[in-house]
Amino acid sequence: MAQSAEHVLDHLELFRGPEYQQMLADKKLFENPRDPAEVERIKQWTKTPEYREKNFAREALTVNPAKACQPLGAVFVSVGFEGTLPFVHGSQGCVAYYRSHLSRHFKEPSSCVSSSMTEDAAVFGGLNNMIDGLANSYNMYKPKMIAVSTTCMAEVIGDDLNAFIKTSKEKGSVPAEFDVPFAHTPAFVGSHVTGYDNALKGILEHFWDGKAGTAPKLERKPNEAINIIGGFDGNTVGNLREIKRILALMGIKHTILADNSEVFDTPTDGEFRMYDGGTTLEDAANAIHAKATISMQQWCTEKTLPFVSEHGQDVVSFNYPVGVSATDEFLVALSRISGKEVPEELARERGRLVDAIADSSAHIHGKKFAIYGDPDLCYGLAAFLLELGAEPTHVLSTNGNKAWQEKMQALFASSPFGQACQVYPGRDLWHMRSLLFTEPVDFLIGNTHGKYLERDTGTPLIRIGFPIFDRHHHHRSPVWGYQGGLNVLVKILDKIFDEIDKKTNVLGKTDYSFDIIR
Amino acid sequence: MSSLAATVKDIFSEPGCAKNGSKSEAERKKGCTKQLQPGSAAGGCAFDGAKIALQPFTDVAHLVHGPIACEGNSWDNRGAASSGSSLWRTAFTTDMSETDIVFGGEKRLCKAIKEIIDKHDPPAIFVYQTCIPAMIGDDINAVCKAASQRFGKPVIPINSPGFVGSKNLGNKLAGEALLDYVIGTQEPDYATPYDVNLIGEFNLSGELWQVKPLFEELGIRILSCISGDAKYREVASSHRARAAMLVCSKAMVNVARKMEERYGIPFFEGSFYGIQDSSDSLRQIARLLVERGAPQELLERTEAVIAREEARAWAAIEPYKPRLKGKKALLITGGVKSWSVVAALQEAGLEMVGTSVKKSTRQDKERIKLLMGQDAHMIEDMTPREMYRMLKDAKADIMLSGGKSQFVALKAAMPWLDVNQERCHAYMGYVGMVKLVEEIDKSLSNPMWEQLRRPAPWEALAKAMMQMQSPVAAIAHDPALAEAARRARKICFCNTVDLGTIEDAIYTHDLRSVEAVRDHTNAVGGCCRRRIEDVLASSPPAGLQAAE
Repeated sequence: MAQSAEHVLDHLELFRGPEYQQMLADKKLFENPRDPAEVERIKQWTKTPEYREKNFAREALTVNPAKACQPLGAVFVSVGFEGTLPFVHGSQGCVAYYRSHLSRHFKEPSSCVSSSMTEDAAVFGGLNNMIDGLANSYNMYKPKMIAVSTTCMAEVIGDDLNAFIKTSKEKGSVPAEFDVPFAHTPAFVGSHVTGYDNALKGILEHFWDGKAGTAPKLERKPNEAINIIGGFDGNTVGNLREIKRILALMGIKHTILADNSEVFDTPTDGEFRMYDGGTTLEDAANAIHAKATISMQQWCTEKTLPFVSEHGQDVVSFNYPVGVSATDEFLVALSRISGKEVPEELARERGRLVDAIADSSAHIHGKKFAIYGDPDLCYGLAAFLLELGAEPTHVLSTNGNKAWQEKMQALFASSPFGQACQVYPGRDLWHMRSLLFTEPVDFLIGNTHGKYLERDTGTPLIRIGFPIFDRHHHHRSPVWGYQGGLNVLVKILDKIFDEIDKKTNVLGKTDYSFDIIR
Repeated sequence: MSSLAATVKDIFSEPGCAKNGSKSEAERKKGCTKQLQPGSAAGGCAFDGAKIALQPFTDVAHLVHGPIACEGNSWDNRGAASSGSSLWRTAFTTDMSETDIVFGGEKRLCKAIKEIIDKHDPPAIFVYQTCIPAMIGDDINAVCKAASQRFGKPVIPINSPGFVGSKNLGNKLAGEALLDYVIGTQEPDYATPYDVNLIGEFNLSGELWQVKPLFEELGIRILSCISGDAKYREVASSHRARAAMLVCSKAMVNVARKMEERYGIPFFEGSFYGIQDSSDSLRQIARLLVERGAPQELLERTEAVIAREEARAWAAIEPYKPRLKGKKALLITGGVKSWSVVAALQEAGLEMVGTSVKKSTRQDKERIKLLMGQDAHMIEDMTPREMYRMLKDAKADIMLSGGKSQFVALKAAMPWLDVNQERCHAYMGYVGMVKLVEEIDKSLSNPMWEQLRRPAPWEALAKAMMQMQSPVAAIAHDPALAEAARRARKICFCNTVDLGTIEDAIYTHDLRSVEAVRDHTNAVGGCCRRRIEDVLASSPPAGLQAAE
């Protein structure tokens, strides 16, 4: 037996034992085995331009999507407010997915409840589930606020959140003055970035526009503070902390809206924190008085920013700023809006990033990359690569739209390194697979799902994005700011050097170049 | 130490060294290395020189006798590619401790040699002397001699402790060790009339292999390369070569000359950097071989190969030429022969604004003059500060240099390309030249340089604000002020004519010459001629432009 009590093997090794190998081989005989040559032929065929054409002609089927659904974004926003319990009205299975998704990425518990609608609720409406659900979660988890979003199930039958919440309050589920902001977040519209947008707008609307008719609308009294919206971001922990550090260095009063950098990175000290940190409800309400609101991700705030603007604030949006120029623009905007100067310390950080780029850009210059992920992430990384003299040859975003496509094309047109680059809105990772075969690149940037592309196509994967399940803790480091740019640079370089080493380490064959100096 | 002193003296009077030959007797006595200036940044020592010259011996165990400093900081620091053993990458050192220094390190050295033989059994062991054992009197010559006898294996002392002098001296001392203990100690399996030695070629990044196929095609056998991708046996039997090429003239000139003296192997100094140099070198090798009895037809075959390779390389470089044309390059290099690189870069259309000649011989300098013209900017010794200024003043578009100068170039926001030992690309031969041009083009087109030169945007903003507040800007923005300023500035002092009057006259009558201005105004045009010319050359004043 390969397995023994003295030395228990896990699946990595166990099934390589002879009896398991024999078992698997025997089993195969009863599974309508294919001619291995035929399997190989098909495999090779999937690498051809002919297959690529068929692949891109797909109309109905999505294979390996690089996007998630709206409520995931809504949950991501909700936990960023003080003591807030995300409550998803709909089927509980969906909610379990958001929890596991966030947990696996951030390696943190993820608290979130659902109204657990079942078949009868789907037929008769989910009002009772809402009434019971709000009451139970309010009593069990003692939140300061419950932020409601929806799954498709509730949306398809047309449940009216506003009315439901009102009724629930009347029935005494939660006190009348208890904050229950809401947003309709159907998965069949948009993606998790849309959900982020809707949920955040819902919460701001709740506080600013009279709490669904239960309170007077707030009157804006402009002050000097700036609101920051991070957007849906796998690196939210590191990035938001970096933004806070930059704002503190510049001496700018600010409110981070949906600040989930604490709840996704709680310390282990013997205390379980179901809620931690977050934008206080008071700050969320007072954010209306701010001078301006800056969104770090345009496509995550398509509705929120106009809403904020309507309330009289200056609004500025960025596209996941990574690298020197993008950070420059961000800081200049901060400086312009706040009237504060960029301090020497940040100028020095800038110089260090430029120095680091100069020291090693020769290795990146001219390399070709494929990127996939959320629209803003793709834009930010592509811009940084162009800055480094690399070519973001394929940029693919399943949740990218036409406007995004045009913006990407304008970016390509602005750089000599972008001339041969292509943007693919609405495409999936199976499209990417074809691209990596027929128009190969040197490196792939994407989330964990890219590892199969890496294996199949041999294109080394650099993990930036969401979700990243199979590498730990990178979400704690920023990719924004000069410091973040440095992190991305190092990440790319590490992969480049690892590849050089891998290609030169065969004993007596290629190791004449297995050098210690690179 | 007396024998070491004699060797050093011998090297200093090297007749093969052109620079040495031109010196007066008194100068020669001082030796050919410049006295190191205490307190100024210096290059490597003689130990380092010896080590890097011999390190490319791939199958030899290189044992450094000394405290950890010497080997600890230097092992495996140079990418000399090996086609066989990788033993050369393994660091062996006696790692001397306090006790060894008190009681002497000879025993420890002897034991170390034995342990290497027990574990690795290499064809030979090179034992490098360093400062500390030399100072306490460890006699490595004696230890090596005894060890050779006891273990029946060549154990070769490389007597080049750091304190005797520069890196270059170390190169030569390493050469002396080869001459004394290695070359001529074995016989090749067979000899052909086409056997050559390459001396002073180190196969960095596998450069030698870029040229080797051409030799093979011509039927020329590289009997030994000293010391790139060298095997001990090859060098030991290298004295049977028919001709030799000295590739890096400074490092191993003594080896080439003494091999000619002892074994009658004629040599020439050549280079494989650049297309024409590669061709010349191939021609010379063929000529020397034919002179020594190889069949005449070798010459024709060589010409054919040269013609083909040249055509190929030119065709590959052609697309880059318009992109590189007129770009100015500054070359700061130590080991790689500067004149041959100059020729190579000129072939690619680059304009050379200067080259370092720190380690060049007089002959080398003559060659540079020939290539770059009489007023060639030859830099004897450039401090980082001077280098920085030269780059900052934009006298050059790109700097080609060794790794150490890299950071100076980067601070000056200047494109830079590594052409020295630590480089990652091989530039030798016809193929290498194309690669070099490609790399220069890549470096020049790297968007990073623009990034480097651009100040932070908030600085640019601040500057603009400052200018807005300056008097010049105030004038530019206020027509009344501008008019007053125009009237206040005198051009002709003899007849007191102001700028405004002259400008108006020029504008209304469309005047083009000083004579015309004189006709229309009171200006004399004598001592103020230059000033009027300047006014004529400049564009119409802002106020008038606006009026139009």
